Amino acid sequence: MVKEENMKQEIIRQLNVPEDKIRIVRERRISLEADYAVFGKILDFAVKQLRFDYLCAITGLDDGDRLSFIYELAQGDGIMLSLKTSVPKSHPVLKTVTPYFLCADVYERELVDLFGAQVEGLPEGNRYPLTDDWPKDQFPLRKDWTPDLLK
Amino acid sequence: MGVISRVVTWARIKSPWVLHFNTGACNACDIEIVAALTPRYDIERFGAQLKGTPRHADVLLCSGPVTRQIEDRLVRIYRQMPEPKFVIAVGTCACSGGVFQDCYNVKSGIDAVIPVSAYVPGCPASPKALINAIVKLLKSLEESEAKKNAKAV
Repeated sequence: MVKEENMKQEIIRQLNVPEDKIRIVRERRISLEADYAVFGKILDFAVKQLRFDYLCAITGLDDGDRLSFIYELAQGDGIMLSLKTSVPKSHPVLKTVTPYFLCADVYERELVDLFGAQVEGLPEGNRYPLTDDWPKDQFPLRKDWTPDLLK
Repeated sequence: MGVISRVVTWARIKSPWVLHFNTGACNACDIEIVAALTPRYDIERFGAQLKGTPRHADVLLCSGPVTRQIEDRLVRIYRQMPEPKFVIAVGTCACSGGVFQDCYNVKSGIDAVIPVSAYVPGCPASPKALINAIVKLLKSLEESEAKKNAKAV
């Protein structure tokens, strides 16, 4: 747990993250909640300074009037950092993380299609994973979506 | 009825060539279909042989619910098959959509898209059930053929 503790202290020291927002869930698992305003800075620090160079997944959540996203970052030696952030549902704009992780393109397209997030800087491409004739204003993984909307 | 067409029908009933198409299954039904085709259950003793192309197939074995992405492909494959053609829906999902019904990416069972001749329920459908379906399908063909012939004479 020494490595994890050091990492936690470094994040707190360097980025002024409040201590209750970051916790070591268990061995090799660190969880961090951040406002979207400072998210870019934290991601940059995690990738470039702490060497989290794998993006395992991006999880999307519908939290009522906000959309939350969890970026699961990992290191080669097995330490994972869950970076959680959220944006208001009325204006769900995110910045792309493809400059750091090229593979994030697929995950971000899923956020666009399934949650209706708007990702700035995402390269042009086909929609994924929904069909081409899917209605533009329906997002199936939001809580208010029901299959009747399609009929 | 001409002699040639009777020979063709006889040949068709004695050797129904099948095409296996996964329309969105979880793979369990696919494995059971493979088990039915291979020597342990061996539907080849009924003349059923797996074909690689819909143009050579008489029977389409569909496993899984029809996803919205595969819908067009399923219709296209169905249209490529020569007449007369038959469809067997393998597994509960293929019959009705199963647990995937009302999922945002799933249309429904096979019969929502193309006509189905035989339904094989089960999760996954067992090879024995599949053999039963094929035998029943062939039997019904034989019977309808016999009726036709009786009328002709």
